[in-house]
Amino acid sequence: MTSTRTPESAPAREESKPPPQLPLWKWAWRQLTSMRTALILLFLLALASIPGSLLPQQGIDPGSVQQYFQSHKLIAPWLNHIGLFNVFASPWFAAIYLLLFISLIGCVLPRTFKLAGESRTPPPKAPRFLKRLPHSAAYVSPLPPREAADAAATVLGGRRFRIRRPSAEDTGDWVSGEKGYLREAGNLLFHLALLGILVSIGLGGMFGYKADKLLVQGQSFADTQSALDEFHPGRLVSGSALAPFDLTLKNFSAKYLMSGQDFGQPSSFKAGVSYTAQPGSPSKTDTIQVNHPLNVDSVKVYLIGHGYAPEFTVRDSRGHVVYDQATPFIPASTSTMLSDGVVKASNASPVQLGFMGVFVPTAVSHGNQLQSAFPAPDNPAVSLIGYRGNLGLNTGKSQSVYQLDTTAMTKVAGSPHLMSPGQTWKLPKGQGSITFTGYKQWASLQMTYDPGQIPALVCAILALAGLLLSFMIRRRRVFVRAVAADSGTGSVVTVGGLTRSDASGGFEEEFAELTAELSGSAGTENPSDSEGATGAEGAEGAEGATNQSETKA
Amino acid sequence: MGINQGLAAVSGDFMIAALLIYSLAVLAFAGDLAFGKPRRASTAKAATAPVKEKELATVGGASDSDSSGGSDSGGSGAAPAAPGTPPALPEQRASVLQSMRDAGRWVQVAVGLSLTGTTAHLVAVVTRGLAAHRTPWGNMYEFVTALTCIAAIFFLGLMIRYRAWSLGIWVMAAVVLALGLAETVIYTPAGPLVPALQSYWLSIHVTAMTLATGIFFVAAVVGILFIVASRHESRISGGKAVEGENGLLARIPGSKQLDKLAYRTVVFGFPIWTFGVIAGAIWADEAWGRYWGWDPVETWAFITWVLYAAYLHARATAGFRRWAHYIQLLGFVSLVVNMLVVQVFVTGMHSYAGLS
Amino acid sequence: MFKAQRRTVVTVAAVAVVIVAAALVVTLTSGNGQASDRTYIGGGTSAWLYKPGHRPAAPSFSGTTLTGSKLKSSSYAGKALVLNFWGSWCGPCRGEAPTLAVLSQKYGKDKVSFLGDDVGDTPTNAQTFAKSMGITYPSLNDPGYQTAQDFGKAVLINDTPTTVVIDSTDHIAGVIYGAATYGELDTMLKKVSS
Repeated sequence: MTSTRTPESAPAREESKPPPQLPLWKWAWRQLTSMRTALILLFLLALASIPGSLLPQQGIDPGSVQQYFQSHKLIAPWLNHIGLFNVFASPWFAAIYLLLFISLIGCVLPRTFKLAGESRTPPPKAPRFLKRLPHSAAYVSPLPPREAADAAATVLGGRRFRIRRPSAEDTGDWVSGEKGYLREAGNLLFHLALLGILVSIGLGGMFGYKADKLLVQGQSFADTQSALDEFHPGRLVSGSALAPFDLTLKNFSAKYLMSGQDFGQPSSFKAGVSYTAQPGSPSKTDTIQVNHPLNVDSVKVYLIGHGYAPEFTVRDSRGHVVYDQATPFIPASTSTMLSDGVVKASNASPVQLGFMGVFVPTAVSHGNQLQSAFPAPDNPAVSLIGYRGNLGLNTGKSQSVYQLDTTAMTKVAGSPHLMSPGQTWKLPKGQGSITFTGYKQWASLQMTYDPGQIPALVCAILALAGLLLSFMIRRRRVFVRAVAADSGTGSVVTVGGLTRSDASGGFEEEFAELTAELSGSAGTENPSDSEGATGAEGAEGAEGATNQSETKA
Repeated sequence: MGINQGLAAVSGDFMIAALLIYSLAVLAFAGDLAFGKPRRASTAKAATAPVKEKELATVGGASDSDSSGGSDSGGSGAAPAAPGTPPALPEQRASVLQSMRDAGRWVQVAVGLSLTGTTAHLVAVVTRGLAAHRTPWGNMYEFVTALTCIAAIFFLGLMIRYRAWSLGIWVMAAVVLALGLAETVIYTPAGPLVPALQSYWLSIHVTAMTLATGIFFVAAVVGILFIVASRHESRISGGKAVEGENGLLARIPGSKQLDKLAYRTVVFGFPIWTFGVIAGAIWADEAWGRYWGWDPVETWAFITWVLYAAYLHARATAGFRRWAHYIQLLGFVSLVVNMLVVQVFVTGMHSYAGLS
Repeated sequence: MFKAQRRTVVTVAAVAVVIVAAALVVTLTSGNGQASDRTYIGGGTSAWLYKPGHRPAAPSFSGTTLTGSKLKSSSYAGKALVLNFWGSWCGPCRGEAPTLAVLSQKYGKDKVSFLGDDVGDTPTNAQTFAKSMGITYPSLNDPGYQTAQDFGKAVLINDTPTTVVIDSTDHIAGVIYGAATYGELDTMLKKVSS
């Protein structure tokens, strides 16, 4: 996972055949942490993500998965078998990214130790022939060699290079300088921060939760597990961990564009709520909007859906009111808000009554078909089909409140019955009646708690910072060597420069500037013999060479 | 807030004008290719291929045939490229105007037209935003026009900095193509945004994505040129082709320069893309209650990120380097797939293209 | 070169297999442990009595009944109480209602009191439900799950219906998750009322 490979570390990672004396696990470890494997895994990761974006996913849209099963009876079970409906939670996807991260650790940890070591040791001695380096220049100094080298060391030190001077057993007058350790540090930070993001996601998956609740205008709920429509706790979370707030949906308003080519497109959704964060604490109000969640006790409450809840009063054949409720209908189309729903009068006597219906906010008739022309309630209407018989609830089985099981029921009338608010449908043969008294709006709220969120954000910012450091800073070495001039006085100073990597370019400018400053400090006015040699980037040049030899091999 | 129809019309006119001027600029670049002052090709006539590199390295005392030109201003004063010997990407030392004068009439006209076109393009994008009272990248049409504008601006900067006149035709032609498609296939009139997009994160997230896409666009064109150039070069070294035999290929800068130019472009774009993904995650958390949910568009942004990361790693690894630019192009393909296929045809939470 | 690539593939596959296996083992072995502070009733893990000394204190509550009269938990002090969380919309509640009706008669008012907590419902629907099921004991009108939340601090109320049995010292003696069966509730009430 090195984005720039230092020549020193290269051989270890290019090992592809196990030397005979190497134990198998060591060879396997080397293979796993090699750049080749890392690249293969990166590719696999990209490739493995693709089916997750093309097939419906259980974790995102379970309804579509069910639909897919119905329309592709033959292949769906097979796809399911290999986890293609839950790609991002499948073992093979996990295997890829875990291997990738193991490979990353195997590469990054040794490099961290290496960098720590390097930052404590001085740069290498200056090479003998600086002119062979990718960048070199020379100037004449009036100072004797030792002093010329001292002056150069002062300049390099002033530019915050890490300096090495000849020790007692070394010969010659030279200076080695190295700078830009932050580049490697940034690179490591980037990779470690990626690891941190993975850990944060895991943290959220273990200790976080997600819950949904549908509230009709005027309704309230206390945040407790049985009150929730859906509850998806993390692996180590139970219902007793819910924040004990309670919340009332006071009003809900949706605005739509009344003209133009985007006619009917929503322009704003607002859910006015009042809430108490803890039992006994003061009540507060807030307006939840699509990009404006409510934050209660580190739980965020989002507005994720809305719809209409027509209000019905059902009387049975005896004339008793057996059902009186605003009944949430689910939008079948979010652009027109044509919605479906059911009414179950399970206490009607002597037989239970059930209604399956459509609510349209702005009713228009296309032939016999009831349709909605606009999502706002300009001309609300419901169309109901009535049933009598057994609702199937008496067995004590759990049933969706949005579905009517008509297997043991018969229709009370042949065709659907259309009603406006205030109208009553008297069922034939005195079987009872249903009144469409009005409608309310409902909003569906999502509560999420994710303790991994802030760590993930911090890690993401660190990763970006590391990336920028590693791209903007270059690691470079500058060597200066002074020898006595042939004329007897003064010295000839050669400067050599080397950069391992130069992603954003610019070392040549820096080297030229540095040379000018060095020669200036030595009291010379005329820098001579400046050479920008071939291969602006030493390390890259070297890699290019290995590349070529490999191509030919 | 309504739409200022007058301004929206102005924006539309400027967009068409930009497209026309860009097309003329491409024609001028083509003219340079066909009739302009010979540059790289002439070296082949003047010297035999094997010694060319050496000569280049010594002429003027500062030429650097290996570097991309942007990093090589070290050395003595201005060295106007002597006839017959200028490298493909001339030195930065020569002033821009001097360099353009040397490059000839065609280039001067082409660069002038490109700059004019970009100005018109920028005006079109800005007036579109003013007309709709928001950042002008709320649907696919606006996104493509904005990203081509960024690609054009970024590329012109690059071309002028590195004096890479010979790249002009390729990138500007791609810009014309993309903008032309935007005007004809996915044109959407200015309109207000759905509630999910009404957030300042739209400006932050989509701006970053637009910027990065524009930059990766330039990198992709340079990457394709690199593949063409390096194939041509290996044919030459393999004796299957003769230097300068194919006039068009001789006009492309050397593969090494192209490689570096593409690399630096990606290095510039990658952190911006990363930032865009992070900003998108923050916004997703704000709007949808989770920072990452493997929505199809998120998934493809991730794939793109992984592929560009693979490119950066591959380019730094011996043995993989020759594949690096194919990976980079694959990254751009995934970006385009995300933009034009996933956002339009795959149902997800990012279905804002406005093309239905 | 070719051999080396094959080795890479083999290595990758091998490590992948190991990780998948490890993940499977962890998933299969974790969870499902039974707590030691309770005695399970009816063979499953959905109904239990807390062992003496492990009974959590029952929270106090108050509210309005479906018929509109005020009600407080203190009025049940010193007596065993069955608190049933239910709703007319809920299928299993319909299933367990006859059991509750019969047992409330069997134990009578002086031995064990019965109280319903009607959640997510309207009074009209709830009252017709109670009437048609022959339930005579009162129910709190709790559309917003307030009492359920109050009890959630002592014992998890994870779904509707849930039945909580409170002893005469105001401690939670046992819980039944899902529809209560005659056997389960009768066993508990025998223990609590004796």
